[in-house]
Amino acid sequence: MFQELLALIVIFLFLGRLGWQLYKQQIPRGQFIFWLIFWLTGGVLVIFIKDIDNFVAQLGFSSSGIQILFYIAVAIIFYFIFRMRLKMEKIESDLTVITRLLALRSPHNKPSDTVELDSDNFDR
Amino acid sequence: MKIACIIPTYNVKKYLPAVVAGLQGLVDEIIVVNDCSNDGTGKIAETLPVTVLHHIINRGQGAALKTGTEYALQQKADIIIHFDGDGQFRFQDIPIILRPLLLNEADVVFGSRFLNLSTDLPSFKRYVIMPLARLVNRLFFNIKLTDPQSGFRAMNQKAALLINWQQDRMAHCNEILIAAHRQPLRIVEVPITVIYEHFGQRFSGGIKILRDLFFAHLNK
Repeated sequence: MFQELLALIVIFLFLGRLGWQLYKQQIPRGQFIFWLIFWLTGGVLVIFIKDIDNFVAQLGFSSSGIQILFYIAVAIIFYFIFRMRLKMEKIESDLTVITRLLALRSPHNKPSDTVELDSDNFDR
Repeated sequence: MKIACIIPTYNVKKYLPAVVAGLQGLVDEIIVVNDCSNDGTGKIAETLPVTVLHHIINRGQGAALKTGTEYALQQKADIIIHFDGDGQFRFQDIPIILRPLLLNEADVVFGSRFLNLSTDLPSFKRYVIMPLARLVNRLFFNIKLTDPQSGFRAMNQKAALLINWQQDRMAHCNEILIAAHRQPLRIVEVPITVIYEHFGQRFSGGIKILRDLFFAHLNK
């Protein structure tokens, strides 16, 4: 009971911070709705943790409900990290295209007062 | 026949003037791609008898080579050479790598450090990293070249247009090898000598290359 209460307090704090960020216009409305649904879902799962325990037991798993939630959370985090990585690769690639376009647009050609070089100076 | 040599550079002001001096007379145009160096390489390059392309953000050797290659194609180069700016490659090998192209015996020529024993490769690299890389190339991409990470290469215009690589960092070497083998191109390997001042690509670098190739494959 204490652990559930603690989890609900943490979720409540995050919801408060979320509301504050929206009030200060630090996050767009779409993101606010996403995180609101995310934390409310978390709160509902915590409130009904006993029912989830029973449900998991009925399915034949030996783990408790909270463990199953934990495993699912880890899997979801891994998925999001993977998606983020792919997105980053795409952004990196786009950045290269822009850099290349700028480089090709203004080549610096041979200077007229070219420095005469002597390959004998290369002591390899 | 116009021969262009691309030199991707990042903080190599110490070596660049000598590299350019050595290449003069061997090729028609030298194209230096300054990959946002912060040691003044760009300024030095602008005083040399070369064309300089500046990357305003550091994008890696693969990206710099591609920028140079695109520029060379715009300038209607018939043969394009990729050459390092840190003095690792020897100018004496330029005629060797050009020969199969000039004789129309190949479309792409890769320099190999393993066709002769003149390259003083670090032992761990020679006996562990390179055989592993060769195995990966052979198993997954059916590439049977002796040098799995050759950075010294030359190609004709047809090959430069067909070989399209996306890897900005060190994985471009493998990607170019793979892309060349997937196109109807005549590929030849010639012996070259590389002068090592430092260890170069480490085992962790090899892992990064595999990771980059994996994510690039997923992003296709």
